[in-house]
Amino acid sequence: MAMEEMDLLWLLLPIVLIQLALMIFALVDLVKNPNPNGPKWMWALIIVLINIIGPIVYFVVGRRNY
Amino acid sequence: MKQLGVLFQKEWRENLRNYKIFWIPAVFILFGIMEPVTNYFLPQILDSVGNLPDGAVIEIPPPEPAQILAAVLGQYQLIGMLVLILAYMGTIAGERKSGTATLLYVRPLSFTSYFLSKWMIAGLIAIISVWSGLLAAYYYTFLLFEQVDFVKFIQFAATYSVWILLVVSIVLAASAALPNPGFAAAVALAVVFLAQLGDGLLGAYWTVSPVKIPNYAAQWLVDGPVRADFWWALGIALLLIAMAVTFGVWMSRKNAADTKV
Amino acid sequence: MNMLEARRLTKRYGGELAVDQVSFTLEEGTATALIGPNGAGKTTTLSMLAGLLKPTEGSVEWDAHSGIGFLPQHPQFFPWLTAIEFTEMAAKISGVEAKLARKQSERTLEFVGLGQAMNKKTGTFSGGMKQRLGLAQAIVHQPKLLLLDEPVSALDPTGRREVMDLLKSLQGQTTILYSTHILNDAEEMTDQVLFMQRGKLVEQGSLAEVKKRHANPQIRIGFDNSEHAARFLQSNPWQAEVKGASIWLPASGGPSMEEVLRVIASDPAGVNAVERQSATLEEIFLKVVGAR
Repeated sequence: MAMEEMDLLWLLLPIVLIQLALMIFALVDLVKNPNPNGPKWMWALIIVLINIIGPIVYFVVGRRNY
Repeated sequence: MKQLGVLFQKEWRENLRNYKIFWIPAVFILFGIMEPVTNYFLPQILDSVGNLPDGAVIEIPPPEPAQILAAVLGQYQLIGMLVLILAYMGTIAGERKSGTATLLYVRPLSFTSYFLSKWMIAGLIAIISVWSGLLAAYYYTFLLFEQVDFVKFIQFAATYSVWILLVVSIVLAASAALPNPGFAAAVALAVVFLAQLGDGLLGAYWTVSPVKIPNYAAQWLVDGPVRADFWWALGIALLLIAMAVTFGVWMSRKNAADTKV
Repeated sequence: MNMLEARRLTKRYGGELAVDQVSFTLEEGTATALIGPNGAGKTTTLSMLAGLLKPTEGSVEWDAHSGIGFLPQHPQFFPWLTAIEFTEMAAKISGVEAKLARKQSERTLEFVGLGQAMNKKTGTFSGGMKQRLGLAQAIVHQPKLLLLDEPVSALDPTGRREVMDLLKSLQGQTTILYSTHILNDAEEMTDQVLFMQRGKLVEQGSLAEVKKRHANPQIRIGFDNSEHAARFLQSNPWQAEVKGASIWLPASGGPSMEEVLRVIASDPAGVNAVERQSATLEEIFLKVVGAR
């Protein structure tokens, strides 16, 4: 099944959007977090640099309920 | 049971405000989409990295759509379960350890409602995650390859849901039984992965193990599992879920005194 | 009428006796101070009364329908709930009807001074605000029995004053048992005192009773300097203790106040004060605890 190139880009868009959303969500949460489990700059690097896994690790380990 | 609604509202607010209701499904959707997409681009990827002599043509037969969906389950069996176990390891152990549970336990609390409210919300989010992820995978597989029969897909996803509910029940029971979240996660992971390992080594001889449910789920996409084996495995899984929930209720009552005062 | 009766309450951790055969009763509508140093077993005792801990031996009896309110020393809240969401949930779990829970929560939060912060998340609360919210969740379902573990010791002097006033306004209609190691607070609001040391109840009774039992009021004569005091004792050979520029006369067996005043009137050199002093709760406590 052949695909137009434009269509392919549209298909890939959700992947990028979800990753971006996870990252932004995690970053906004980190900024508001009064007491993360570790230094903020470290979490910021983890969230931005490690694809997908970074934000997940932050939510699971770094966030602590607040 | 009157307390169930009150406690469910509390759990709902927690999962909404710590964003679990958003990010857990997002992770499942992401892995659901990525499987068909990487499969679609696999020839091009191999082309660009492989230093083949000019003129050599790689012939990769296009994958069966059922194979792609089954491969998504493979991702969920590792990353998906890890995410769910880590996200819910502290559900009860964490409340006791931080002392937030104290102000609940000092009231005439129904521990059945207490545990069930947590089980319901974790189960709900797990099911929402699995279904939205698998639907995304289904849609992408349809766009990039071929359509899988929708009834078969429903059977596939519903069967896998039972397995994921069993995993959630095990995490919550571990969180009720053990003193801290990390310990609960370790035990839940050990139980789930050792069961899979044991089934992989010895399971050829018995066919009704609930650990085979993910395999049976994938078989629905082709021609379906052996019916008797499937129903037995499903029944045993449901029984184990009921046992884990009962154990969890009992342990959360028994360990209430360990809450930090 | 008895609101609560503890009979030979005992808690053993391994070989360690945290609470050892503690028995007492709480009369309806009274305030009782559970006094003791850190580690005396106050928190363990309160946890058993509140039903959080199972006693190793002994029993607690109380009117199950009266409802109970408990404030731990460091109350922990779900940081993602607002103050009113928390008290409303607490009230409902304690059996308050859904319709009333909201109203009672609002009223209680106003009462403890959190009216403005009602809709803020408790994760943003300061220590003082948490203590107030802790009090609010303990009284929101209008229990007849309140158990408070060190309700004011974490607060600054102003906060302490305010919370004590709140508690005093509950006195009479609610039976209150609170632990403290600050004896000034205890003296302010108490019908009964329970002294605890190393897990044991070492003294109990009404404040007046206990004072009578242990404190004999003394007469103090203050002088400008210690030489005056010494000279005064030489000319009046009473049995007395000299402390700095003061001499202390025992309440019984020594001269009466009239006699003291007559002597001073005839020889007032250097005297600047005469007073009858009754012991404070603190002195009695030190005496009772020190005697062991």
